[in-house]
Amino acid sequence: MEHKIHLFGLSHKTAEVEIREKFALTGFNPIDAGLVTKQGPVCEALILSTCNRVEVLCVGIPEDEQVRNRVLETWAGFCGAQADLLARHIYHYTDRDAVRHLFSVAASLDSMVLGEPQILGQLKDAYRKAVDEHSTGVIINRMLHKSFSSAKRTRSETAVSSSAVSISYAAVELAKKIFGELDNHRAMLIGAGEMAELAALHLLNQGLKEIMVANRTLERARELADRFQGKAMCLEDIFNYLPQADIIISSTGSSSAIIRARDLREVLRKRKHSPMFFIDIAVPRDIDPDVNQLDNIYLYDIDDLQEVVEENLAGRKEEARKAEGIIEQEVAKFEKWLNSLDLSPTIVDLLNKGETIARKEVKKSLRNLPADLDDKTRQTMEHLAESLVGKLYHDPIAFLKRRSREEGSSEKYIDLARKVFNLDEEQIPDNPHADKKGK
Amino acid sequence: MLSFRILDLVIALLYLSGAVSFLLGIIYSRNKIQNISACLTIAGFGLHTVDLALKYSLGLGEVLTQSQFYISLLAWTFLLIFILLWWRLKLKFLSLIAAPLALVIFTCSLAISPATLPIPGLLQGLWFGLHIGSLFVSIALLAMAFGAGLAYLHLDNKIKTKSRMGNVTRDLPSLNTFDRVNHWAVMVGFPLFTLGTLSGFIWAAFTWKTIFSWDPKEVFTIAIWFFFAWLFHKRATGGWKGRKPAKLAILIFILSLISFVGINFFTETHHSLRPDGT
Repeated sequence: MEHKIHLFGLSHKTAEVEIREKFALTGFNPIDAGLVTKQGPVCEALILSTCNRVEVLCVGIPEDEQVRNRVLETWAGFCGAQADLLARHIYHYTDRDAVRHLFSVAASLDSMVLGEPQILGQLKDAYRKAVDEHSTGVIINRMLHKSFSSAKRTRSETAVSSSAVSISYAAVELAKKIFGELDNHRAMLIGAGEMAELAALHLLNQGLKEIMVANRTLERARELADRFQGKAMCLEDIFNYLPQADIIISSTGSSSAIIRARDLREVLRKRKHSPMFFIDIAVPRDIDPDVNQLDNIYLYDIDDLQEVVEENLAGRKEEARKAEGIIEQEVAKFEKWLNSLDLSPTIVDLLNKGETIARKEVKKSLRNLPADLDDKTRQTMEHLAESLVGKLYHDPIAFLKRRSREEGSSEKYIDLARKVFNLDEEQIPDNPHADKKGK
Repeated sequence: MLSFRILDLVIALLYLSGAVSFLLGIIYSRNKIQNISACLTIAGFGLHTVDLALKYSLGLGEVLTQSQFYISLLAWTFLLIFILLWWRLKLKFLSLIAAPLALVIFTCSLAISPATLPIPGLLQGLWFGLHIGSLFVSIALLAMAFGAGLAYLHLDNKIKTKSRMGNVTRDLPSLNTFDRVNHWAVMVGFPLFTLGTLSGFIWAAFTWKTIFSWDPKEVFTIAIWFFFAWLFHKRATGGWKGRKPAKLAILIFILSLISFVGINFFTETHHSLRPDGT
């Protein structure tokens, strides 16, 4: 194969944020910038530039140095900085390693927060942009599609993205474990601080029925309550409203506990022992830890939530190992396809397929004929089927051979032929473009 | 009769594969396997229905005096209730308790040698049917409350003690859902249990001319009824949710099982299902 896959990049693992900012490639067009040229060392390119990573994926000639120089030159040139500085921070993967890296990035195994879901969307955007700018070709197109599908596979077959890794999301997840759907539940914020507001926003996104806000000063409570279209009240009134509240987020600056177990017995009786979930994000704590001893009351303070988050992160690391196994399988599949882009294996595959079809059809027809058929008829039929298939495939093969002689690069046509004759035996879903139409 | 043997075996195999595959589906948290398992269990249930209907229509009356038939019917009722709950509350999870229980009970019905029950006198159709039907349904509901109760206690404990949730726990439905199963099982189960017990006494009055004969089964059932009544009262008046009703439902189900297995098979009672028919 005369082409090689190269991947150059900076990420949170190799470069400080200043470097990443300096060498961001937002708005970089590989064709306008002269990275991809007709004759040049690079013939396909895709740029991914996010706040945690800048990656340049390209397909070029096998000579590493030439490709590397061209990439560094245009990259540093676009950013108005020294190529030497850039060279010190980048990593350079080729072929199998490059494919593996891209697949890991897509599956969010290389992310700062392992398994976070944004990166796949960012990669999809980057790909869409590259397609619009006509800087991709057969290899990058297929590589990206496969990276999306392998990311989807890791997500559905491992739990790498399943548990909450931020405090407010961990709280929401716990609330759902207790109450199920939250759309019939009410929350109460005690203390109108910034943290409480953030947590409330997360809860509202889950479709809470109502949010009540209690604060030392009624004014500030009103202010916040208006924003959530909720009810405002003074701190002194909370015990009148607690029987209606299912989720209570507390963040006052009070130096002593404002809710104790003995206060809640009456509240629980009034709400017929429906469960209550207390989230105490104040330091020092607002809610006496004793309340967790009561049946149907669950109390988490900020340390507990932090611990949940850390445990979830550790769990994701374990799952990431499984995901790497899946990535490895997908990389192997991609490599197999890549190797088949040579002319001769494709011709062999094409002829094999034809022969298989011919043999199958002859067998089927023979079954419909009397069993005492003489050998001559049998041979004639076999000959007929084989030569029919051979004649049918003759022109496509001649076409492929001619193209590879004339243009030097025949991947596009070979890929097309493989697709048209379905030589890779791929399972094609009934509506492969269903998700595109929605957009 | 051979064809019935084969049918029974197929049903047992379907229940077995349903139970095992559901367990696997839960452990590896694959929805597809869980759905396949549900299909297997429902297929088993369908065949089971046919099996019971055939046995009933072929040997009407006679089959009602065979212990096998009742045990098989109990297994069938368990699945009926599970499928209803699954359909109404979307609680696939209870398959974990329903499929294995149905399997065990159904296999029991195959294992014991067909015995003729000493059902005396006229079968007073209505009362007897009411007695069996409502008690079986309420026991099946208790079984679901038992499964939901165990899951509730497990999940509640995890959340209370803030300990790490494994993949299986993470995929469990919410505490609220399990509590709702308990609620429905108690609200529907207790009236049925009462009805079943009462109709049993009325039937006894017709058949033996005495309402209460200090039969061990009768004494035990009344004890269970008191527990159940207490649970029903506490739930209905709004006092109880969560752990306490879950625990009590578990206790009542275990007592019912003891009553069913221990008393029906091992003591002198006119509820005897013992193979030798004494």
